[in-house]
Amino acid sequence: MKLSLSSVYTPYSFPIILKSYAFSNLCKPFCSSALSSSPPISLKPQVPLFLRPPIYSTKFCDFKKWHDWAKGIASSIGSTFVNSDNGPDSSILCRELKWLMEDAVEDHSLFSKMGFENYDERVKMRVGIEELYDLWKERIEKRRPFQYVVGCEHWRDLVLSVQEGVLIPRPETELIVDFVCDVVSKNEDLKRGVWADLGTGSGALAIGIGGASGIGGRVIATDINPVSVAVAAYNVQRYCLQDKIEVREGSWFEPLKDIEGKLAGLVSNPPYIPSKEISGLQAEVGRHEPRVALDGGIDGMDYLFHLCDGAALFLKPGGYFAFETNGEQQCRALVDYMKNKRSESLCNFEIVADFAGIQRFVIGFHH
Amino acid sequence: MEVVLHPLCKTIVTVKSLSYRRQQQPLHFFQKPNFSSSLNHFSSLAFCANLSSLSRFSQPVLSATQEDQLSVGENSDTKEWALQDFYSLRRDVEITSQRVEEIRGSAGLQLLEQELSDLEEKAASSSFWDDRAKAQQTLSTLADVKDKIKLLNEFKTQIEDAETIVKLTEEMESTDRGLLEEAASLIKELIKALDRFELTQLLSGPYDKEGAVISITAGAGGTDAQDWADMLLRMYTRWGEKQRYKTRVIEKSPGEEAGIKSATLEVEGRYAYGYLSGEKGTHRIVRQSPFNAKGLRQTSFSGIEVMPLLPEESLNVEIPEEDLDISFSRAGGKGGQNVNKVETAVRITHIPTGVTLRCTEERSQLANKIKALSRLKAKLLVIAEEQRASEIKQIRGDAVKAEWGQQIRNYVFHPYKLVKDVRTGYETPDVTSVMDGELDPFIKSYLKHKYNMALSASGAN
Repeated sequence: MKLSLSSVYTPYSFPIILKSYAFSNLCKPFCSSALSSSPPISLKPQVPLFLRPPIYSTKFCDFKKWHDWAKGIASSIGSTFVNSDNGPDSSILCRELKWLMEDAVEDHSLFSKMGFENYDERVKMRVGIEELYDLWKERIEKRRPFQYVVGCEHWRDLVLSVQEGVLIPRPETELIVDFVCDVVSKNEDLKRGVWADLGTGSGALAIGIGGASGIGGRVIATDINPVSVAVAAYNVQRYCLQDKIEVREGSWFEPLKDIEGKLAGLVSNPPYIPSKEISGLQAEVGRHEPRVALDGGIDGMDYLFHLCDGAALFLKPGGYFAFETNGEQQCRALVDYMKNKRSESLCNFEIVADFAGIQRFVIGFHH
Repeated sequence: MEVVLHPLCKTIVTVKSLSYRRQQQPLHFFQKPNFSSSLNHFSSLAFCANLSSLSRFSQPVLSATQEDQLSVGENSDTKEWALQDFYSLRRDVEITSQRVEEIRGSAGLQLLEQELSDLEEKAASSSFWDDRAKAQQTLSTLADVKDKIKLLNEFKTQIEDAETIVKLTEEMESTDRGLLEEAASLIKELIKALDRFELTQLLSGPYDKEGAVISITAGAGGTDAQDWADMLLRMYTRWGEKQRYKTRVIEKSPGEEAGIKSATLEVEGRYAYGYLSGEKGTHRIVRQSPFNAKGLRQTSFSGIEVMPLLPEESLNVEIPEEDLDISFSRAGGKGGQNVNKVETAVRITHIPTGVTLRCTEERSQLANKIKALSRLKAKLLVIAEEQRASEIKQIRGDAVKAEWGQQIRNYVFHPYKLVKDVRTGYETPDVTSVMDGELDPFIKSYLKHKYNMALSASGAN
């Protein structure tokens, strides 16, 4: 199952996607029904908007016209989305619009001139003006997540490439990196060891702990989804961490057979949303993000239990683990499960709240 | 009048006749004699001007003679002009001379010289470079002190030069208009330099040289207040542009109908913080509401906070983790995978002082947290400085609240037009210009006010 990524994906050999075909296809009405079910899967990761070359040029007045149009739409939304499914309100959409402009336009000093009429100037852009109209339409009408629109998500101090088929990393998950930094700063043995991020998605956690914590050893990131594997590898390469982080394709512990009982640490943000709740999710999540990264089975616990079982087997003595859950109920269920079934190998369980005060994480050690 | 002016009239006439005579000579011929003759005047009077100031005289004298050639036909006018000119010049010189004395006195020249020798001693010590950062700091202080002393001494030489010319003109049998013009331009430049010096004296706070971060928050009162906040944002942006500072709106949260709930403006450039620091407080507007069909008179408020834009490395403040209350805005609900909203705002409260900062402009929470924390540190440093506290621990939170929220200025658009600063009493009816960024008179009068307050406070002690 192991995919030798270094040979398949060399860092700078990705053809630059000059036109985002996927984007322009999506906006055509006839394929809107296909949108929610199965996004086109390609193994070539898309280049985030902000990294594309500024080869388009538009008159300032046309750009401004687009901006005013987009802003008008954002303002007209009011709290419609909030009321329907706790989606974004106008102020969030306006912020997204600002960021979309930042990513699409090369010269940011332009934004301070938005209030003035300057018809002669030309704006250099990373995307054509027509596509900008399409992108914003998709954002509003289809509720396509902003991060897929711009092809990236700012997470901790990283800018990670994301695209359809890959879960957009959430701010809550940033905390797991802090936990790991904390634990390795006190434990030289864990610092030198091999770590694993299971169900890595965009590679966020693997890159976060591989880059920030000063982990001396390796980090192995696994994902069953080939799109995720490609995107994670791309992100690893963007941060020049390919010597440290290895991305392997496969389900959970499957690609880790060679290091059973040798892992120093294990982190994961597995799918944990109960199946029946998927349909009621915020449109950006439910309609666009990969179900495989969200759906955790009947009560959302399927993969969390599986991770605990694996942790008991794959962690070495003294090894550390941190998992993200759906909240207090799952945290408690998980700790109960480990206390009852895995107490011979796992110990020192702790439930940690996220910044919103929701009990979000379960952390612990191998004996 | 003639009686009083008698000796002077004679001189003026001499000047004029001199210039007539010159015109008859070829240009290349009289250049040299003219220069040497003024040299002779000086030496014969045993005047103690140094050589460098003498050589400076020669240049304007030449250009002045050339000008004379152009104004041949205006004999009577020139006479009148020169008379008045001399009087106003003499008055300017007297006033400026007094001002130079005052400035040299209040700048503590002796203390400065003492400081200079102390610093030089430090810099000469063998262990000076052991602490590089400190050494750099000492050297930069040394350069500042040196510059200041040099400047103060220059003021003295310049005013002495001007005084000499006045004396000469009064005493000499013959002199020329070139010298008078030299003195006039000398005084003009000196007055400018003194103004600049005074201003930098007013801007001598430890962070005054830095750039500034202005945050504007609309007060209670809905759309009217939010529109007012937007007007203030525009006012400060325009002011910054006029100063040729680099301004950047780094965060703006729009109001529901119009205006803004809040905004953050970064102003980059030397002394931006020094000028703007006095703008913090509550700004009040009185006008006919544009959002009310009846156009009722409406009072709204907006709060302004100003902090220095400090480089990360200068924020060497340690704040214990337990003193911080960090909250992240989250859309609510279940969070985690359930939600995808670009809500990255971070709010940090320094619990002991109640000082709070919110940062929303960055695209990730961690980035916002780092930025909010560094702004919080900058704010605490400023408050500590204001309260003359040597440590963050000594800051009195209640005083912060009272001072930072104080109403500082009224902008009345209706029923009459008036902008008035409640601290200095400075006012102008030209509301339009003020809203267009003409803030300098307000800023300067406040800086002077602050300086005088500090002087009288230190005098009382």
